[in-house]
Amino acid sequence: MATVEVVTTRPPRTRAVPLLAEPDLGHYPGFRSFLSTTFGLDEDPLGAPGLLAVDGRVYELVFVGRSGRPFPSGVEVNALVEGLEPLDEQAADTDLWAILRWLVAGVGGEWTDDALSTTGRIYRIPAAGERP
Amino acid sequence: MIVTLDQLPDAVRAEYPYASRFVSVNGMRMHHVDEGPRDAPPVVLLHGNPTWGYLWRDTMRPLLEAGFRVVVPDQIGFGLSEKPSLHGTHTLANHTANVVALLDALDLRGVVLGLHDWGGPTGLGAAVSRPDRIAAIAVMSTWAWTASPAEFHQRVLPWRTLHAPLLGPYLMGRRAAMPGRGMYLSVVDRARFADGAQHVYEAILSDPADRDLTWTWPRSIPIGLPSDIETEHFRWLEAEVRALHRPSTVIWGREDDVFEPGVFAAHWHEIWPHAEGTHLVTGRHFLQEDSGAEIGALLVDFADRAVRSAGGS
Repeated sequence: MATVEVVTTRPPRTRAVPLLAEPDLGHYPGFRSFLSTTFGLDEDPLGAPGLLAVDGRVYELVFVGRSGRPFPSGVEVNALVEGLEPLDEQAADTDLWAILRWLVAGVGGEWTDDALSTTGRIYRIPAAGERP
Repeated sequence: MIVTLDQLPDAVRAEYPYASRFVSVNGMRMHHVDEGPRDAPPVVLLHGNPTWGYLWRDTMRPLLEAGFRVVVPDQIGFGLSEKPSLHGTHTLANHTANVVALLDALDLRGVVLGLHDWGGPTGLGAAVSRPDRIAAIAVMSTWAWTASPAEFHQRVLPWRTLHAPLLGPYLMGRRAAMPGRGMYLSVVDRARFADGAQHVYEAILSDPADRDLTWTWPRSIPIGLPSDIETEHFRWLEAEVRALHRPSTVIWGREDDVFEPGVFAAHWHEIWPHAEGTHLVTGRHFLQEDSGAEIGALLVDFADRAVRSAGGS
């Protein structure tokens, strides 16, 4: 499994390529709590985007607020791609899967990597691989 | 991008050979087909997630042959209807109001509703909002209450994982879990589905942005958690539906292992003790894929008695 780690340095000369947008992060509140804690959003809600590195590739998490909802109400996941180079789509898809596995492991409780991986295999998600 | 039914492949057109029509509902473009004599009793068939009017292709034919007017919309966010990206579009109230707007725009009266999946909550909400337009109701693999959610919908593996924050936009948005594999697992004759209709359902929701509603609607099913977002709407709906006295029938897939007939179809008879059925046909959740023509024949018989015999228009 690829290693996902929180980093603080944004790579220079990159552009943000939107990959995923989640408008209702609090639908299952554990997801919002985990990201708030991981990126210190309670202390600094309007700081720079959160950054995650996956095998050297960096992704930003842009947290979104919405009137009447606890912050963050949503999050956008962007790949940070050098200059005007095309997105490596296969790597991005594999990395997103790694980020989701990191996410459910962090949320914990009833949310498990096993459930995500099994769901991925049931629905033939390429990044989830074949049934062992 | 497919804009009208004329642009579908010939094999699909042969199955669904109708004219595309559009009406504006709450400022959005709703696609529908409207076949049969204008002065015949109208039957409105409403699909759910992640299907579109094509779901009813085999059901429509017996109804048209029997002389009914058949109206089949694509719900906003599906099929050839507009697929708005604003998340706030996809509340249950908004989708219900879109069905109300369709009934009003076509000025349909004496309607027999055929409701499947989310066509149930939306169509029934429209029915209680426009009771004077509704003559009779057929329900199929659907619900309109908060109590006793399906055990499947309460499980993390796989259902809640499929639409959890960020997981839903990936699994069902980017990777199209619902119109492909999800439907495949919810029909009886999987080989036939994989050889034909599955490609049509996948192609009509070809881009991730087209599939927002496939992971948004699952979040609207009340499952008894604090995060449920439509509980109040369903409480209102159940109370109104109980008071809506119309001829009704219950048609269900014998093999439906999500909305199990022994639980969900039975609950409809508790809601509407006068309801006919349950008519069990071969089918899982997407029962029209296995028994579309048989369902059409059941609807012809039901509508004949409910509308024509009663002297409806």
